[in-house]
Amino acid sequence: MATITCREFQAYLEPWMEGERPQDVQAHLRTCPHCSSVVSDLELIHTEASSWNAAEQDAPERVWTSLRAQLEQEGLIRETIPEHEDAAKVQAPRTGWFSNLFPQLPRPVLAGAYLAALVAVAFALSGPVNKRVNEARWLKGTQTSTSPLSAQLNFAEQNSNTYIARSNPDVTASLHQNLALVDKYIALCEKSVNEEPQNEVARDYLYEAYQQKADLLTQMTERGENVQ
Amino acid sequence: MPEAEAIRLAQQGDAAAFERLYRLHNRRVYSLCLRMVSNTAEAEDLTQEAFLQLFRKIATFRGESAFSTWLHRLAVNVVLMKLRKKSGNESSLEELTEPDEDSGGPRRDFGGPDLRLSGSIDRVNLQRAVDQLPPGYKSVFVLHDVQGYEHNEIAEIMDCSIGNSKSQLHKARMRLRELLHEALRAQAREDRKAASADSGGKD
Repeated sequence: MATITCREFQAYLEPWMEGERPQDVQAHLRTCPHCSSVVSDLELIHTEASSWNAAEQDAPERVWTSLRAQLEQEGLIRETIPEHEDAAKVQAPRTGWFSNLFPQLPRPVLAGAYLAALVAVAFALSGPVNKRVNEARWLKGTQTSTSPLSAQLNFAEQNSNTYIARSNPDVTASLHQNLALVDKYIALCEKSVNEEPQNEVARDYLYEAYQQKADLLTQMTERGENVQ
Repeated sequence: MPEAEAIRLAQQGDAAAFERLYRLHNRRVYSLCLRMVSNTAEAEDLTQEAFLQLFRKIATFRGESAFSTWLHRLAVNVVLMKLRKKSGNESSLEELTEPDEDSGGPRRDFGGPDLRLSGSIDRVNLQRAVDQLPPGYKSVFVLHDVQGYEHNEIAEIMDCSIGNSKSQLHKARMRLRELLHEALRAQAREDRKAASADSGGKD
């Protein structure tokens, strides 16, 4: 069998390491200690490096904590969305809330539904329909409709605090934490709307943020009621 | 929650879905970053940055490639960007002494020293040698030999050809062999010095 030289073997080294085994190359390796030591070294390097895989570990938990905080700050995440609800379409208030709107003051458990209605109405008034009619008036409407709405939510939050104080302290702490996250999200969205009042996407995000707060306050109030 | 479902929900901003994807993939991404920069604090920052970019862009994921491939491409780009920024600040002497990634073949391959690597390779000295590889070689070496990706996967991650992946891997291994031999020779010189110092002291 014809043999190859060491120089010729160099050209075969890469395919050899990929698993190709030409007979003349095998023959050369049987007789050449230098070339066979090169192959042996490369195989050792590969074997040692492959063993590192087994020692892989998860990133420290602080990486997730920091990442999550960043994602929340950027408004990229929100709490788990129920299967039946499409979070992209936060429009009409919940089913059945209309029948609960009475002239008398709503009970605490209905406060959230009331707020949801308020949010929906406020944004309907400042929405695209008005924009077509009179752009200047629409801009003003967008800017001013959020102020009383925000005030309403803050008032509802104060009321909810009375009820939530009756709950388990751990639950209270967790709900307050969630409220703080939602407030941060609202602040971010309000800033966007103030900077770009013509931006409908920003307005939609703010609407969703207020809706989230209204939902959370409803939960908090209901929990407080159930503890009685 | 299956990964496909987590991706769908994450594209809608669902927090639990984000976390699920993170838990599924953080180990490989973190390990890749750690092998590339050999510094836990930096590896943590790079891991966070890779996932942050992933979640910012997740709405654009269309399923044309595997999710893990897409994620690893982001991670490799984040790491290479960091390494290139760092090398821009280092002395030009180091750039001159490193082999050009695009040059054909290793500088020294055969007819080398009689020392063999058998028995001399361990995690510490191999990691030190890997640390000295140029970023491109290092990426392919870590992806293939450490993390077990095939060349077709690496080609997708690195946006190169399969042939290029094989070539870079081969150059990386040959360079590692040179570096390990240099380390062995340096150790042998130190041992001889120490031995002659001992015998000189005894005279």
